[in-house]
Amino acid sequence: MNALKKKAGRVLLYVTVVFTCIVLVFPVYWMFNTSLAPTMQLRAFPPRFFPVDPQWNIYAKVLFERPMPTWLLNSTIVALGATMISMVVSVLAGYSLSRYRVKGSKGVGIFILTSRMLPATLIVIPLFVLFRQANLIGSLWSLVIAHTTFIIPFATWMLKGYFDSIPVDLEEAAMIDGCNPISALYRVILPLSAPGIAATALYGFILSWDDFVYARTFLASRQSAWTVTVGISTIKGEYITGWNEIMAAALLGALPILVMYLFLERYLVGGLSAGAVK
Amino acid sequence: MTETMKAESTQAHSRFSLWRPSNQSLLAYLLMLPAVLITLAVIAYPIVSAIDLSFQEIKIVQVGRERFPWTLANYAHLFTSSEFWKATWVTLKLVTIATLGCLVLGLSTAMLVNQRFRGRTIARILVALPWAVPSVMAAVIWWWMFDSSFGLINWLLVKAHIISSPIAWFSSPTTAFFVICVVMIWKGYPFVSVMLLAGLQSIPGDLYEAAQIDGANTWNRFRYITLPSLSPVMGIALILVILWVFRDFAIIWLLTGGGPIGATRTLAIMTYEQAFGFYNMGYAASIGMVTLVISLIASIVMIRRFSTSIY
Repeated sequence: MNALKKKAGRVLLYVTVVFTCIVLVFPVYWMFNTSLAPTMQLRAFPPRFFPVDPQWNIYAKVLFERPMPTWLLNSTIVALGATMISMVVSVLAGYSLSRYRVKGSKGVGIFILTSRMLPATLIVIPLFVLFRQANLIGSLWSLVIAHTTFIIPFATWMLKGYFDSIPVDLEEAAMIDGCNPISALYRVILPLSAPGIAATALYGFILSWDDFVYARTFLASRQSAWTVTVGISTIKGEYITGWNEIMAAALLGALPILVMYLFLERYLVGGLSAGAVK
Repeated sequence: MTETMKAESTQAHSRFSLWRPSNQSLLAYLLMLPAVLITLAVIAYPIVSAIDLSFQEIKIVQVGRERFPWTLANYAHLFTSSEFWKATWVTLKLVTIATLGCLVLGLSTAMLVNQRFRGRTIARILVALPWAVPSVMAAVIWWWMFDSSFGLINWLLVKAHIISSPIAWFSSPTTAFFVICVVMIWKGYPFVSVMLLAGLQSIPGDLYEAAQIDGANTWNRFRYITLPSLSPVMGIALILVILWVFRDFAIIWLLTGGGPIGATRTLAIMTYEQAFGFYNMGYAASIGMVTLVISLIASIVMIRRFSTSIY
């Protein structure tokens, strides 16, 4: 009787897990399924739940008849640029906050932490004014700079958390062996925190890729500078475009992040929760 | 004695080294310097300039070209405008519902994939997958799912006899607000789930064993072990989700643009709309200042409450 009950419990658990996963992931699958559907089928009932007659050429259409490659490239340039600048700055600041207690370091820490919580819809206004004066509107640089406003605060704190978890003894040993603090950081701390640094950088990249408010405001006027989020939002605005085309574009735009997530989930999740659980 | 000290200090002077322990604080400041300079330039300066703008009745074309006298007109207009109070109410409603939704769905999925079963790793990846869908793409997917004529949701609901005819989701205030809630929850719960899962994993298993021996049932184990152990993580997750919903722009802007008749116009949307839709930079900045103050209060609460775990 007890064994039976236990078995029923197992079955129930599996059913719940499978059902939950299907429901929650379904919208992503639906994006994929719709992208492959023939145009006629999009307006037919009942909808097809599987790509019976997959139209792969829609991806060629989206990639070559639209400036999709340019948008993807712009997003990549901005995300790489903003992440690299932010990482250099944040590694140094995070290390300083983790290892030294000097007058004002708590203040700096709290300032950086709170700036992570600022509303982008406010910051975008003065930044727009600033960039217009600097003649940066329509340039990818405006976006690189704007994205550091949210990547640096979060990266500094995430890295500080990683550095905190590395024992100080290691650097002290290195310094006794003749390293100065910078070479100890470079030779001892950085290699040890490589997974953390990689996770932080990935995170920065994803945050930058996701941005819409800054990209729309600074780049809307120059089509060749659009990032993929701006591009897709405009496809959505053209009412004549078929849903299969919109979904194919959305999938292509989301793909880099989805792939990163699928392969590096462990690092990302580790980084996400590390700061909060300690 | 004093002689030797003098000698040492002159020696230190002659061969200045940043690596000396006595120069540690200088090194600490130098390491922080790039971050401080950049944040001052791209965060602190813009905030000051937004404050300045919020006290001027200024349009977008005039900004940077001329200065207007300081006035409280924007704030006076703001606090007497029914649009502002409506947006505040919409924001409050959305933050409450979406945050609760994220919390409930996040906690239940975290507890589900914390169980032991085969394929748990895959289930964990799938459960948090929406996190990896960029907001713009998430908005576009759901826009299609809630499409009034050919959307899947309408088809399913009609098929299940829950509604008799398709609903135009984005045309009525209530349904549009509902759609925004659904999308926000779908995009926001994985973050909570991941954080809470890490929290669950850090609860020692002995606690549950001991409770089981003492005869505690499932509910009591949840109520007296799981919830209290999770509460610090849950607190942080809660505030981060509140702030995320509060500040979101992409999802609402793309799905409803704040409409219909302001039913989904949050303070963030109203700020942007005033600035770049109606070009009232000064007025927009004043709404933005209100959102800034609210965000600051929320983050100060978080820092106060969790300062031990954060700093």
